[in-house]
Amino acid sequence: MRRVRFHARLLALYFAQYAKARLAYRADFAAAVLASFLGTAASFSVVLLLFSRFPHLAGWTYPEIVFLYGFSLLPYGLFSVVSSNLWDFADRYLVEGRFDRILLRPVSPLFQVLFESFRLESLQEVATGAVAIGWAVSRLPDVSPLGLALLPLWAVFGAVIYVSVFGLLTAASFWVEDRVGLAPPVFNLMSFGRYPITIYDLKVKLLLSTVIPFAFASFYPTALALGRGEFLPYFWAVPLVAVAFALLNVALWRRGIARYGSTGS
Amino acid sequence: MSDPAVRVRDLVKTFEVTQKAPGLAGALKGLFRSETSTLRAVDRVSFDLARGEMVGYIGPNGAGKSTTIKMLTGILTPTSGEVTCLGFVPWRDRRAYARSIGVVFGQRTQLWWDIAVVESFQLLREIYGVSGADYERRMKVFDELLEIGRLLSQPVRKLSLGERMRCDLAASLLHEPPLLFLDEPTIGLDVVAKANVRAFLKEANRRLSTTVVLTTHDLDDIEELCERVVLIDHGQVLWDGSLRGLRDKHLPEARIRFDLPAPADGDPAELAVGPWRAARLSPGRYLLAVDKREASAPDVIREVVRSLPVLDLAVSEPDIEEVVARIYRENAALRRPDAPPASEGAAAGIVAHRGVRRG
Repeated sequence: MRRVRFHARLLALYFAQYAKARLAYRADFAAAVLASFLGTAASFSVVLLLFSRFPHLAGWTYPEIVFLYGFSLLPYGLFSVVSSNLWDFADRYLVEGRFDRILLRPVSPLFQVLFESFRLESLQEVATGAVAIGWAVSRLPDVSPLGLALLPLWAVFGAVIYVSVFGLLTAASFWVEDRVGLAPPVFNLMSFGRYPITIYDLKVKLLLSTVIPFAFASFYPTALALGRGEFLPYFWAVPLVAVAFALLNVALWRRGIARYGSTGS
Repeated sequence: MSDPAVRVRDLVKTFEVTQKAPGLAGALKGLFRSETSTLRAVDRVSFDLARGEMVGYIGPNGAGKSTTIKMLTGILTPTSGEVTCLGFVPWRDRRAYARSIGVVFGQRTQLWWDIAVVESFQLLREIYGVSGADYERRMKVFDELLEIGRLLSQPVRKLSLGERMRCDLAASLLHEPPLLFLDEPTIGLDVVAKANVRAFLKEANRRLSTTVVLTTHDLDDIEELCERVVLIDHGQVLWDGSLRGLRDKHLPEARIRFDLPAPADGDPAELAVGPWRAARLSPGRYLLAVDKREASAPDVIREVVRSLPVLDLAVSEPDIEEVVARIYRENAALRRPDAPPASEGAAAGIVAHRGVRRG
């Protein structure tokens, strides 16, 4: 428990220090937020255009689609804020040797890698998602209050799932010298979660619910709020999936670090 | 006597090195089968450090210094052997041990690159749980000794090498660790900055009795700071003892330089002085080098003054750079494949040499 408190305080401080440094260049930061927002708005418009043609698509109404999409932005935005160091981990940390410094500090190495820098502008996605959810809720007849209340927590679980999956892929760098080509295609799979899982065929459904459990990050968490009883078991499984993948991730990092210790690279 | 701060026994680290054949064909071949060889970076190294001791860990490039330091700081796991530092096994108790040590890698900053120095210190304060009062007090001392006050508001990436090094040193001592590892702490610094850093280290060592392991290429660092040196080459300890002893053992030379009035017909390249011969350095100036085991410096000086019309005279010893360079050379010669097999202790007991050298 003390260790959790220690890491929570440290996370707040890391974030504050990074934000302070980043906000020192206000115009630069504003431009980054705007660019990020335009990107989100563009992909959101595509979905809206697509679905505005059909008032009911595969049994989903327009506001429900907006709700789904809006929610998918929450875990995705949180993930984007903390994932920037995962992408170039091999180059930045292993090749350039920064990982030595990480190992010299009495703080979890994975924690340090995740929280040494942030993509602050991605917080815009969280805000955009919240606005979209708000709009959708005003149009939907009966949204479960409990389902709504749990959304923020489930969004965090969703972000944990994303971080863990990419953490696992990143940990491969401890064994494989060359850049792993797996991360980009897996990243593309994230957009699948923006749509109702019912529109996909069985293979995709299985993939998104097992090995790459992105459906647990961005689709199943909406089941309770939207009153989709058939997905409720999956909804309640979200925390378990998040914890399981997080533990797997931590375990692989531990093995990776042990390997680093014996090879020094 | 209390437990040593650092205890190293038969420490070995080997690396598998993949031999890659050149060219595309080689790369393709490497996909299926790769030849590996084993590199012994650290080879049965043993030593103890007492608490409060300041030791220089020296050796040429690739001698195994960094690998040793990485094992002592918990970054690398040894292939075999034992290390106990402050009661911890560094690589096994890495996170708890990290609280008790400070590390400075001269080539690479330990601070966060993009944020102001003072913010880095705030983060370290939180990480190491330094109280507000201690923090203020220590920062004041750092500013007095290292003059980092005006650097604090700048991001690390904007600092010069010397400024960055001062900040890194302060950062490594913010939590007052009992054990400090310094890897090339004066690299790239100018004379004044070097002097400041050395003074700071002396002060820290005196005031807190910090145990310091210092790796450096700059032997002046060692001469000024360390009573004791551990010299390694090819992963093996060649010398563990005082600098004085190192010099006496490997290059026990007294050098007498003297000036003579220039003769009309030019001076000879070599000059007999009693049983010794002096070599000409420049017109009118000679150097006589004698092995101290064969003759005492006062005797030689007496003979010089007696037999020659000396105008001026100075006595010196080989500087430590030269001693160490000689040891490396001799060790390299011993390791050549055609060299006679090394007997026990041969590596350390290298060779005696003639008293007469040309200047």
